[in-house]
Amino acid sequence: MIDSLKQLQNIEFEQGRSLWQDAWYRLAKNKLAMFGLFVISFLILVSLLTPFIAPYAYEAQNLALGASPPSMQHWLGTDIHGRDLLTRVLYGGRISLLVGFAATAVSLVVGVLWGTIAGYVGGLTDSIMMRIVDILYALPFMIFIILLMVVFGRSLLLLFLAIGLVEWLTMARIVRTQVLTIRKQEFISAAIVSGLSHWQIIRRHVIPNVLGPVIVYITLTVPSVMLLEAFLSFLGLGIQPPQSSWGVLISDGVKTMEEYPWLLIYPGIALSLTLFALNFLGDGLRDALDPRANRD
Amino acid sequence: MSLLTVNQLSINFSTRDGITEAVKDVSFSVDKGETLGIVGESGSGKSVSCYSLLGLIPMPPGEIASGTALFDGTDLLQASEDKMRKIRGKRISMIFQDPMTSLNPYMRIGAQIIEPLLLHNKISKAEAKAKAISLLEEVGISDAASRYQQYPHEFSGGMRQRVMIAMALITEPDLLIADEPTTALDVTIQAQILELIHELQQRRNIAVIFISHDLDVVKHMADRTIVMERGRIVEQGITSQLFDAPQQEYTKQLLASIPTSAKPEQYRFANSDSNKEQNFLSLNDIRISFPNGKKRFVAVNNVSLNVKQGEILGLVGESGCGKTTLSQSIVKLVNIEQGQIVLHAASDNQQVQDQQLHNLQGEALKATRKDVQMIFQDPYASLNPRMTVFNTLAEPLKIHKIASKADDIQARVLTLMQDVGLEARWANKYPHEFSGGQRQRIAIARALAVEPKLIIADEPVSALDVTIQAQILKLLLDLCQQRQLTMIFISHDLAVVRYIADRTAVMQNGQIVEINDTETLYQNPSDDYTRRLLAARM
Repeated sequence: MIDSLKQLQNIEFEQGRSLWQDAWYRLAKNKLAMFGLFVISFLILVSLLTPFIAPYAYEAQNLALGASPPSMQHWLGTDIHGRDLLTRVLYGGRISLLVGFAATAVSLVVGVLWGTIAGYVGGLTDSIMMRIVDILYALPFMIFIILLMVVFGRSLLLLFLAIGLVEWLTMARIVRTQVLTIRKQEFISAAIVSGLSHWQIIRRHVIPNVLGPVIVYITLTVPSVMLLEAFLSFLGLGIQPPQSSWGVLISDGVKTMEEYPWLLIYPGIALSLTLFALNFLGDGLRDALDPRANRD
Repeated sequence: MSLLTVNQLSINFSTRDGITEAVKDVSFSVDKGETLGIVGESGSGKSVSCYSLLGLIPMPPGEIASGTALFDGTDLLQASEDKMRKIRGKRISMIFQDPMTSLNPYMRIGAQIIEPLLLHNKISKAEAKAKAISLLEEVGISDAASRYQQYPHEFSGGMRQRVMIAMALITEPDLLIADEPTTALDVTIQAQILELIHELQQRRNIAVIFISHDLDVVKHMADRTIVMERGRIVEQGITSQLFDAPQQEYTKQLLASIPTSAKPEQYRFANSDSNKEQNFLSLNDIRISFPNGKKRFVAVNNVSLNVKQGEILGLVGESGCGKTTLSQSIVKLVNIEQGQIVLHAASDNQQVQDQQLHNLQGEALKATRKDVQMIFQDPYASLNPRMTVFNTLAEPLKIHKIASKADDIQARVLTLMQDVGLEARWANKYPHEFSGGQRQRIAIARALAVEPKLIIADEPVSALDVTIQAQILKLLLDLCQQRQLTMIFISHDLAVVRYIADRTAVMQNGQIVEINDTETLYQNPSDDYTRRLLAARM
């Protein structure tokens, strides 16, 4: 043993390639997905830096200008109150992305925990937990959100919660299905026999193995949440002025579509580009993380 | 002239790491009424070469690089899709490995059987039905007329394989390709199905290509045999000559890997210096059942068993006999309904008391988990794909606080890896980067990490190729001897159990029908069922 220990000090380890690295390799070969990833990263970066790079202050307006078309001073033109549209698109993007990611994060945490526990424990617990999901599914969620907004007043935090609480249902179902198949695998039995507690098994063996489909679903949830926010804002239930989001900007743009089309076109392009990018990335991730491709 | 002549067939698959030569320069021929056996281990190209004849390999990534396959004057590799459709299912039929998935679960079996007939022949439905029913009778399905209307799930595995055979034969093909047709079946059923294929072939004078990894089966079935390795034909010849006097190194190695003998002397329990009468584990009148609709399905009933310290106890039986359930109850993966499972303390250690395993909870259960470990069948499913070998092996060490300092853990993990024949420098690799045999070594190392006294091995070599199987069996024997382990070895494979076990218990329908010293049991079985099992071996 002592001898072998000495030898062991000098081992040059071969570096393994994890399934995540494998997936990354496949993703990197998908040009469309990489384009999506680039666009998303760029947008996030821009959102973070908005206060420093926006050409005008958020509230700055020049009433004399009114709605002016794109020009050297105002690259995307100004709105009817004489506010710089580029600035408003930048700030609106902050809100839209924030809603998208924050609400998805809510759904991620709740959905993964709920689905994992239901799938892992099984039996009666599973039945009760999934029936609750079914019941929530059956609620007409528009009415649910409208009621929330009416009762508690409109606020950004409430919007995160409301959307997140609707989106976690699908997440919980996806995760539960995954957990059901993983729980039957022999490495879970092996972990039980090794003496791990249930919580340790869930944390170390179950959750890492459900993350693939979850990540794919996240990239598809973010755009749907952003769209939902745009839709709610369009209805006047979402973000409240003076705050603005792409949904609010589009809603405003529609009203003056014929006179001042740029007020609709630019926020529209921003939103569409983001949704495209996220969907491309999601598709690419799904291909990259596909378990069938992992088994050569 | 031969019915089928394959000449210089080469098939490539393009993968991420470049082009793999799945089949290289393979030539063979089959005559009418002849059975050609193709044996080889997984990845030897035996299936791919036959699938390519029917245009069943996905292209891309597959690509037929060169070669011809003349079937009755037509080159199968060049034929148009139209032409192939007329040959496939009509003149060349196929039987697949898994009768559970090769039948459409939503179609009545009758409709499935006559489908190729209606497709290829001008025949009325009534005539087709009459023909199908007579064929079902011929393949040994009693009451064929009423079973004709049933769905696949109403048939057992063996019966489904009979249905598959009927389906393959209904168009009266000239060539039947059977790809591992009995691998998924129990040994007694396997014997019946092989007999049936043989009989039908004689009667109908068809040619059969019989693909299998199982040398005994091929030896039994084939007139001529081809041995394949890594896409190439290593050796071919008349079956009896090839098996009696193999010419090539690989063939010899393959044949030597089949466990045919009794347990090697030096490993036998009787020759060990342990205390031979000390019971290590006692199972007492165990009963286990599962809810099944309104009733309960009794998986294990009335089982009592003693395992002696330091012996290897073999547990054999066919699928569904309860052997796995019984073994899982010992590690509390399933709970027993009645009976006792007692882990006896060593007589020379007064501090430790007998443990009633079935009653343990919480910390006490965790403590005995250290003593009893398990090795599972499927080395692909029994390792967490997202953990490196190092983390997999370090986990039990940390859980049981056997080692806590990083240095200590590393030293133990790397030593373990060497003990099971893995190179220490592979520690940071992931399971998918290893072969099946290597993965099973990792699983064995994980079981050994906590220095258990008892190992339960549930079909640990069933998923492995025969040469790998021989290595793993040898490894298990060595480890048991070095570490004075007690082992319960579960298998459906009688030859393997004979090679490794000191005593053997035979299970049927949840009960132990016979238990005895292995050699006594194999040479003089006293129970009827044991005799039938032994007789069904090739």
